[in-house]
Amino acid sequence: MIRTESIHIPFTYAAGGTSSIFLAALRDEARILATPCPACDTVICPARSSCPACGGPTATPVDVGPAGTLVSWTELADGTTLALVRLDGADTSLVHRLAGGDGTWVAGQRLRARFGESRTGAITDIVGFESENGAGR
Amino acid sequence: MSTPDLAPLGVAGVGRSGPRISDPRSIPEIVLEAVESALADATCGYDDVDAVVTASVDLFDGLTASNIAVTEVVGAVMRPETRIAGDGLLAAIHAACQLWAGAYETVLVVAHSKPSMAPADLTPWAMDPIHLQPLGASFTACAGLQARVLTLDDPDAEGRWAERAARLSTLAGRPTSPAEVSASSVVASPLRERMRAPLADGAYAAVLSRGEASVLLRGAGHDLCAHSPGDRDLRHWDGLTRAAGRAYAVAGIDDPADAFGCVEPACLYPHEEDLFTAATGTGPDTPVSPTGGLFGGAVPVGAGLSRLVEATRALRAEPSLRRVLAHGTWGPAGQGQALTILEAA
Repeated sequence: MIRTESIHIPFTYAAGGTSSIFLAALRDEARILATPCPACDTVICPARSSCPACGGPTATPVDVGPAGTLVSWTELADGTTLALVRLDGADTSLVHRLAGGDGTWVAGQRLRARFGESRTGAITDIVGFESENGAGR
Repeated sequence: MSTPDLAPLGVAGVGRSGPRISDPRSIPEIVLEAVESALADATCGYDDVDAVVTASVDLFDGLTASNIAVTEVVGAVMRPETRIAGDGLLAAIHAACQLWAGAYETVLVVAHSKPSMAPADLTPWAMDPIHLQPLGASFTACAGLQARVLTLDDPDAEGRWAERAARLSTLAGRPTSPAEVSASSVVASPLRERMRAPLADGAYAAVLSRGEASVLLRGAGHDLCAHSPGDRDLRHWDGLTRAAGRAYAVAGIDDPADAFGCVEPACLYPHEEDLFTAATGTGPDTPVSPTGGLFGGAVPVGAGLSRLVEATRALRAEPSLRRVLAHGTWGPAGQGQALTILEAA
């Protein structure tokens, strides 16, 4: 015998102080922030309160991007393309979507963030990254 | 940090249930079969077990806490039980630490999952809910990002992975050609459907003890990397390198290239074998997954313990293998890594 169930549980995830600053900058100013780590000199994007490399507390957020370089990408079965984008001024890669283009992507390609018109304070306030030339390549 | 002087432990018994693509039985029934098999193999009973370490993940079982469903069948009523919400090999290492600490004489390790319960990919719910989950990131997507990075300096990689996936599938009893792998649908480019070991239901169990046994656990190590694939150099499994360094130090292994009769990595995709080999320093002539590895059926959470079970069986059947490495990994793009070193007594 089989019992069928679907679990629908609403959650409220707190972004935390530094991530909230990062999300507010996306929403209010279309800016992308990173946090320098004073201990290991890594500039971490997205901005967070602690360094993923050494665990130490990070310093005041700084601007990075909005242009950057394509590090990796993967086309998924649902048609979306996720990517790692190393924004100018950052030492880590932002995970985000690729947008536009003809689906031909090249490592090292220059990209630029495209922000949505209506922004809510979420990582998806960036619609995706598109080629600085406007095409996939 | 100094290397602890740890006595070898005995792998007194191993058991399994499955893997089966879709097992109609309940989770307790699946787990019970694995436990009874391991206890019988160790010629002992529940009363001989001092403590239990289980591995299960609530998300995969649709139940909090997922160990509640197996408390009775693992013999944990009125007995110390620890639950690891991670790979089963991590549970085995936790059990080993309990034994090395002198807390117990015999510990039962059990890992299970039943992915056929929820056909959808649940791993997006295991991703950072602020920065990654809203983008649709999943373990599959992260594997694709990692595989892509490996192709950038290696144009032959995809063809080699197709050959490897075909070989592993064939060894596991599902004859497959590289052309069939390359023609299968894309799941997360450059990875294709038949490059992925098939998910399966199942449970694995092992009885570890401070007593003698024909197979010994000589060393173990585990390690974590940062969660986001954007925070890591995806060209390497650095966590596994660190875990291997700890395990080799405990086991007294100076030259891993010549140390193992075979290795049993828990690789869900063929590109992960490249990462595994580089991280562990195992030699190019060392046989890898001689029975097909996870391509015989990859049980989430159980995968790493399945490699320990397979390694134990291999050493018993062929003591001349001398030493076998069993590996486990969990999280996106190999975030968590564990390995154990088994030897014929």
